[in-house]
Amino acid sequence: MKLLQKLRSKHSNELILLVILVGVVLLMGILSPGKFYTKNNLLTMAAQMPEFGLIALGMMVAILTGGINLSITNVATLSGIAAAFTLLSDFTQNYPGPGIVLAVVSSLIVAILTGLFNGVFVAYVGVAAMLVTLGSMTLFEGIGLNLTKGGSIAGFPPSFMKLGNGNLLGIPVPLLIYLAAIIVSYFMLERSNWGVKVYMTGCNEVATRFSGINTRRTLLKVYVFSSVMASLGGLVMISRYNSAKVDYGSSYMMQSVAAVVLGGTSINGGHGTVLGTVIAVAIIQVTSTGLNLYGAERYDIDIITGCILVGVLTIRFMNAKRQSAKLLKGGGAAQRANV
Amino acid sequence: MSRILKKKEFGIFLVILVLSSILTMINRVFIRPDNLIDVAKGNVVPGIMALGMLPVLISGGIDLSVSSTIALSSVIAGKIMVNYGGNLFVVLLVSLGVGAAVGALNGIIIAKLKIPPIVATLGTMSIILGFVMKYTNGDWITNLPEWFKSFGVIKVAGLPIQVLILVLAGAVTWFALNYTLTGRGIYAVGGSPSSALRVGYNVDRIQVFIYTFCGAMAGLAGVIHTSIVQQVDPNTFNGMELKVIISVVIGGASTMGGIGTVLGTFLGVALMAILNNGLVLAKVPTFWQKIVMGLIIVFAVSFDVINRKREKAKLERVDVEE
Repeated sequence: MKLLQKLRSKHSNELILLVILVGVVLLMGILSPGKFYTKNNLLTMAAQMPEFGLIALGMMVAILTGGINLSITNVATLSGIAAAFTLLSDFTQNYPGPGIVLAVVSSLIVAILTGLFNGVFVAYVGVAAMLVTLGSMTLFEGIGLNLTKGGSIAGFPPSFMKLGNGNLLGIPVPLLIYLAAIIVSYFMLERSNWGVKVYMTGCNEVATRFSGINTRRTLLKVYVFSSVMASLGGLVMISRYNSAKVDYGSSYMMQSVAAVVLGGTSINGGHGTVLGTVIAVAIIQVTSTGLNLYGAERYDIDIITGCILVGVLTIRFMNAKRQSAKLLKGGGAAQRANV
Repeated sequence: MSRILKKKEFGIFLVILVLSSILTMINRVFIRPDNLIDVAKGNVVPGIMALGMLPVLISGGIDLSVSSTIALSSVIAGKIMVNYGGNLFVVLLVSLGVGAAVGALNGIIIAKLKIPPIVATLGTMSIILGFVMKYTNGDWITNLPEWFKSFGVIKVAGLPIQVLILVLAGAVTWFALNYTLTGRGIYAVGGSPSSALRVGYNVDRIQVFIYTFCGAMAGLAGVIHTSIVQQVDPNTFNGMELKVIISVVIGGASTMGGIGTVLGTFLGVALMAILNNGLVLAKVPTFWQKIVMGLIIVFAVSFDVINRKREKAKLERVDVEE
């Protein structure tokens, strides 16, 4: 009982989201009986969700600091393209094992470079994150186009495909990567020194700087972290499609912002949990896969996702209003101070 | 004179001047009047949308749904023209009305439900685009009536009618921002919403007005776009919102709110237009164009921030010395 109360007070948002998720899962099962609860469909969802989830985690860190990373899908594809070139090199043809490791490393290096680019301009030059990443989005897309000449790169060694399509002990490998990323993100954001700084910077950057924290270095790391998450998503994507192309996953950019906000992260920064984002990603994935099975078109899914986003935020606003009204009851002074 | 030199718009103007000279040296075609008129005509649509986005950014908000709004109003206006005929007045009225309605919806969600603008308009963007694509299946609307097609090619004193409409829209926006109470209120809200509330501005009403205006401008841009390309393609507007926002920001408006002018916005749109046209004329390979574009965006916005920081540092020094 006590545990439940603690859960309700500290994680009310995650609880609401969990209820919505369960509701959506039940609803989809009713809509397409015999099709939704099949092993095949569940495995498909489990394989599809990670790339979106990884990108959403990367987006979340940026939003936590009050920024945004509009270049995130282009980072994912650019690092995917870097990996693709390594995979197609003579070295990998001769030594597949070390070659794949090298591909992963090269995609991480590209990710770190893109993260440093974004981070330097956001943290050290002081340009609004939205503008920097709007520019770097075009820049990274251009570099990707230049490398691939607009086409797709295909023909990876078969063992690399396991990263996106394989199973380990019956669990899809991408899901395992995603789970590992969730755990790492949780510990880094909610249980580490750096994580506390990230939240503080998001709440009030000036106050954080004046309390002796190097907010610039914190922000720089945020954008590197964001890019690394995106590159993991990119690796899963190129392995799942067995090719790399500039415009893969471009729809994930706005969707990931939606998922992060749906998950309870404040767009102004400072608040939000990894768990909330993860549940929101699951809600969006289950909704779109479920509606797909039901026979809805992609456009219906867009409409419904948009409605869920606005709806949940409206509920959240009403809740906050009710709570503050409760707090302010009889406290005229507090109300005046608030206006 | 020194006042003009100090203005932020002057910096952008200088960049445009330098860039134009370089482009002219590379390719003489650039400076030819017919090329310049073509560039102007081709950028009337982002120009009008930028005029709508300007008050939104000044107020400290953002509107990501403009690309969906322009698609919606073009499709509805196009369908009405093809199925019922009508005349130019009806088309303009419907298009502006649809845009304004979408904008008002955004404004109400943002003002009354206090959902942050970026999230609210992200939601309406996907809802509206979903409806447009569901309704049209992504198909083009062609065979528009002759009277509309002939409207699209009208020229006044050698200038396409669309360019004149852009100038007119700019004049209206300029007047509204500088000489009306609501316009001054927009700057006040952008500077500090709570102060604007205290001096007696109705912040909610101003916010609804801003987004309605932005939507109506997107609706107008829809008619203009249809009159230029003579057909409606619902897919063509994807990603346009980001281009519009970047033009306005390059023109000196701040995403933090409170700052921005019509002249600057025009210069920002012109800079982006010249870049696009110039990179083609300078025979920069297609694959390099995006790289150049991205770098210029990043450096343009950084330049502005660095400049502002330097000014501020100078001001602080003066304060100390006094």
